[in-house]
Amino acid sequence: MKSVPEKSEHNRPGWGKWGTWEETESFLGKVIGIAEGADAVEQGTIRCWMESKEFDCPIHLDDMAAQAAGYKGVIAPDNMIFTYGLPAYWQSGDPREQPGAEPKQIPIPVIFDVPAPCNLSFASNIDVEYFAPMHLGDRITRTSRLVSISRKTLRVGDGAFLRQEDTYTNQHDEVVAIVNLDIFRFAAPDNSEN
Amino acid sequence: MVDWSRQITLDDVVVGAEIPEIFMPITLQRLVMEAGSNRDLSLIHHDREVAQSTGATDAYMNTFFIIGLFERMLREWMGTRGRLKKIGSLQMKSFNVVGDVVYCRGKVTGKQDDGTVSLDIWMENEERVTVTAVAEVVLPS
Repeated sequence: MKSVPEKSEHNRPGWGKWGTWEETESFLGKVIGIAEGADAVEQGTIRCWMESKEFDCPIHLDDMAAQAAGYKGVIAPDNMIFTYGLPAYWQSGDPREQPGAEPKQIPIPVIFDVPAPCNLSFASNIDVEYFAPMHLGDRITRTSRLVSISRKTLRVGDGAFLRQEDTYTNQHDEVVAIVNLDIFRFAAPDNSEN
Repeated sequence: MVDWSRQITLDDVVVGAEIPEIFMPITLQRLVMEAGSNRDLSLIHHDREVAQSTGATDAYMNTFFIIGLFERMLREWMGTRGRLKKIGSLQMKSFNVVGDVVYCRGKVTGKQDDGTVSLDIWMENEERVTVTAVAEVVLPS
């Protein structure tokens, strides 16, 4: 049997931590997650990222080309910030999957860890500003804040636009990029009792 | 093949001009390759049944893939000495699913003396525009 979205606490298919709007409001302005990237910036992951996009710019692959463009050496593509800011999905000490385990939905934005009376979502807007290049060996940390909540009823359901601001920094505490992500989290109509 | 020895400068830029497009056929294999390389392993991007349960017709491109293709298009146009400053107001209009051929396109909307060039960028398939955004890059003079 193939996996479908998990049942959330109120027995509707979906994802995201369930809670009240009051609980959602209590997170406003606060840090809602800090993630240390699983991997340092390195050539192999850069090559794989570029391979899947048929992308071959030499500043991401060759020190001399990068230096000719004004960098101290190879830099990662700017949008690898998302990849280098992701924590490990499994690491030493974590429980291992058991036989029969189903694939899990992975809601990457940490906004899903904020409780809300919602079980579905869609991303509505993304803004990314790039400040510093990522060099080989850099370690990236993502610090996420809930910066706005805007309640709204749309055709898909009742919910709210939640804005998550992710600040990506390197090991020198230099800001590499800032991402603002707007996600509409909403409650889907409950058909399970029909 | 891109000639990476060529470098566009601010003087070369004409407001209103379109930049060279890129395209990508979307196969499930491509989505799996992309998910492995960008580490967005959400099921909706490689599992047809889960994607369909959310209203899509098939597995669909993730945001990291889309914005990465925009970066490739901008980089191929602005050259190695251009700098990506911003991609913003990125809005998903519809899913980019297995079977689509997606095209990334862009048009210059402004330029400033400090080297900043503004563009409208978008993704479209054979039927419609699926993603819209704006970008800012900095070019050498």
